[in-house]
Amino acid sequence: MIDIIQNTIDGVMIGSSYGLLALGFTVIFGVMRRLNLSYGPTVMIGAYFGTVLYLDFGAGLLAVAAAVVTGAVISGIYVERLCFAPMKAGAGIASMVSSFAIWMQLEQAAVLVLPRHTYPFPPLATGAALEIGSLLVRPDHVIMLVSALLLAAIVQLGFYHTRFGLGLRAVIANPIAANLIGVDVKRSVMLAFAAASAIGGVAGFLVLAVDQQVTPMFGMWATLKGLIAMMIGGLGSIPGALLGGLVLGVVEVHSHWLFGPQVRDLFAYFVLFAFLVARPGGLLGGAADVELSHRT
Amino acid sequence: MRTIVCTLVAMAALLAGYPQAAHGQVRAKAAVTCVSAGQVLEYDCTIRLANARSGEPLSGLTVSVGADMPSMPGMHNVRPVKATEQAEKGVYQVRLELEMHGDWAVQIDLRGAVRDRVIATLRFEEKEVTDVKPSSSRRGH
Amino acid sequence: MDDYLVSVLSNIGVISFVALSAYLLLLTGEISFGQQAFFAIGAYAAGVATAMWGWPLALGIAWGAAAGAACAVSLGIPTLRLRGLQFAIATLAFAEMVRILFELLRYQIEIDGEPVGPNGSDGFRSIRYIFDHNIETFDFMMLIYAMLAVTLGGFMLLERSRLGVIFRMIGEDATLASLQGIAVARYKVLAAGIAGALAAVGGGLYAHLTTYVEPRAFDVMLGVHSLAYGLIGGLGTALGPLLGVVIDVGLLESVRLFAGYRMIIFGGLVALLLIVRPRGLLDERLVHRIGRLFRNTISGTTRTGRGPR
Repeated sequence: MIDIIQNTIDGVMIGSSYGLLALGFTVIFGVMRRLNLSYGPTVMIGAYFGTVLYLDFGAGLLAVAAAVVTGAVISGIYVERLCFAPMKAGAGIASMVSSFAIWMQLEQAAVLVLPRHTYPFPPLATGAALEIGSLLVRPDHVIMLVSALLLAAIVQLGFYHTRFGLGLRAVIANPIAANLIGVDVKRSVMLAFAAASAIGGVAGFLVLAVDQQVTPMFGMWATLKGLIAMMIGGLGSIPGALLGGLVLGVVEVHSHWLFGPQVRDLFAYFVLFAFLVARPGGLLGGAADVELSHRT
Repeated sequence: MRTIVCTLVAMAALLAGYPQAAHGQVRAKAAVTCVSAGQVLEYDCTIRLANARSGEPLSGLTVSVGADMPSMPGMHNVRPVKATEQAEKGVYQVRLELEMHGDWAVQIDLRGAVRDRVIATLRFEEKEVTDVKPSSSRRGH
Repeated sequence: MDDYLVSVLSNIGVISFVALSAYLLLLTGEISFGQQAFFAIGAYAAGVATAMWGWPLALGIAWGAAAGAACAVSLGIPTLRLRGLQFAIATLAFAEMVRILFELLRYQIEIDGEPVGPNGSDGFRSIRYIFDHNIETFDFMMLIYAMLAVTLGGFMLLERSRLGVIFRMIGEDATLASLQGIAVARYKVLAAGIAGALAAVGGGLYAHLTTYVEPRAFDVMLGVHSLAYGLIGGLGTALGPLLGVVIDVGLLESVRLFAGYRMIIFGGLVALLLIVRPRGLLDERLVHRIGRLFRNTISGTTRTGRGPR
């Protein structure tokens, strides 16, 4: 019984970072209705920025975090300018494939800068795990969860209570109408992209600081986790993204405990598949479809 | 158009189904060890080739060695280089230049008295090269 | 012919099957990230057939194709009501599940005192059919291309046939197509089955080409790549995905000069290409224009169609 609770707690902790990754995806997807396959790699570039700062300059935790976010934002804007902005409406698949090409580009660039398979990353918090009764809670996990919730709250606030957020929601609802009422659609999209990358940067920083290492596989991993969490939670829904992340985290930890790492991944994908077939809108999302059909 | 299609199908079937004489082929096995050759991403590999059944060393063969990354077949492959046989029978030496660190499937193609291909999966890191153990936890990052 | 060139051309041939598989589904309007699953199924099935059950090559590959088609249909049916991104992610989830299942699969028998067969993450080694039967690498390459030619012939026929038109209609607007009386669901499943069989044939050939397959080779990268080939080469004709494969594998090989920067250059080139030509090089417009030029030249009419000069 204790194991179940312990695992659920761990799952929620890890899930919060998945939720953040999903959040970044959702913001981009909601605004542009296109899939950005470079999302994980841009976060990874940020992570490598941070790692270089840490290894070569011995920077502190906050400086590394800032570097990660900055790197993610810069590469995110690069992707937006190259793969999304120049595409006319209807070239959704072209954008996606273009972002895939840039994924490969970014991954190789990262490997050139830091060729080894794994690099140390500064830890989020050292120190023994807290004991609550017979449950163990790692302090760095707690920090990750709290940060994730805070960030999600900030995004929710920004989205629903600021002028910029209002403009974004207008663009999401109907870009043409938004343009007509004076919203600078192109600029809004770019800023949304930057914001999503920043969120991803924070998520990446938290995950890596908990894991205390960076590998070149991180890019694909982040993309996959964010995508899965977003689909489970529901396309285009902010609370959905977080919820999807938490569900994914919990499912993963439980199946890892019961069956081991490979079946854990198998289960995660199975849950995703089951959700998609039974409830394509995800847990909280609407039936929001994608501009990915090749004719639109 | 239809005749062309039919001819092609017939050709394909012929090539595929024609029973070639199945010789009692000699199968080779290889033991591969690699060390870093000084320069980054360059490795010197020593390959010991032996008859898989009798254990007898196989010498006098033309050995060419290529490499491919298992996770992305055909994307990073290394152009095959000929290995040179050493004084000791069945021992061949080759220098490999790779593009990335990580796991590589080293393809050893044999021609001559024995025609075979042996594949050895090794993990090439900066300083050392190790055999790849199966089913390590792939946690992605 | 230089051994290396033969292996590169064989690679191009084999990968073309997966590219064509993804292309077929794109025609019906669906993006699939999962064709690599059927590539894997074809590879393992054919390998098991020839290396463990002693079947001849043709039968092994046919069996692989059947297995691929069956699995594709079993994926196609539950995902019928999914569109766009949901469908794409569902195929990705399916493909990853298949890959992980192969990582867990262990099925070995003893041949000549050695274990032969799929062994989880270690992969499936010793698919030695072409060695045991003394088939030259050049001959195997010709076999690959013969089958590819047959497949291309099939696609050419498809483009001109009613079935091809139906596929493209469903791709353009499925609702409209069903209003015209087309049983959309049935044709989508048919397309899925054919695409699965295609990818599986490629897989079977691949397994025998390399003599060794492991689950890692069939990951998401392969899936997205196969989609990308169609986009790069063009969606107007079945030659498009082929062109995409040639450009990728061919360019990748020739840009070897920039050894460590291959992907950086290639990625950038693809992104730029897609800005200028979002539906690939041989997109529908270009193919249509070439077709018209061809027909005009043959019939001797001028472009204004004023009759023979």
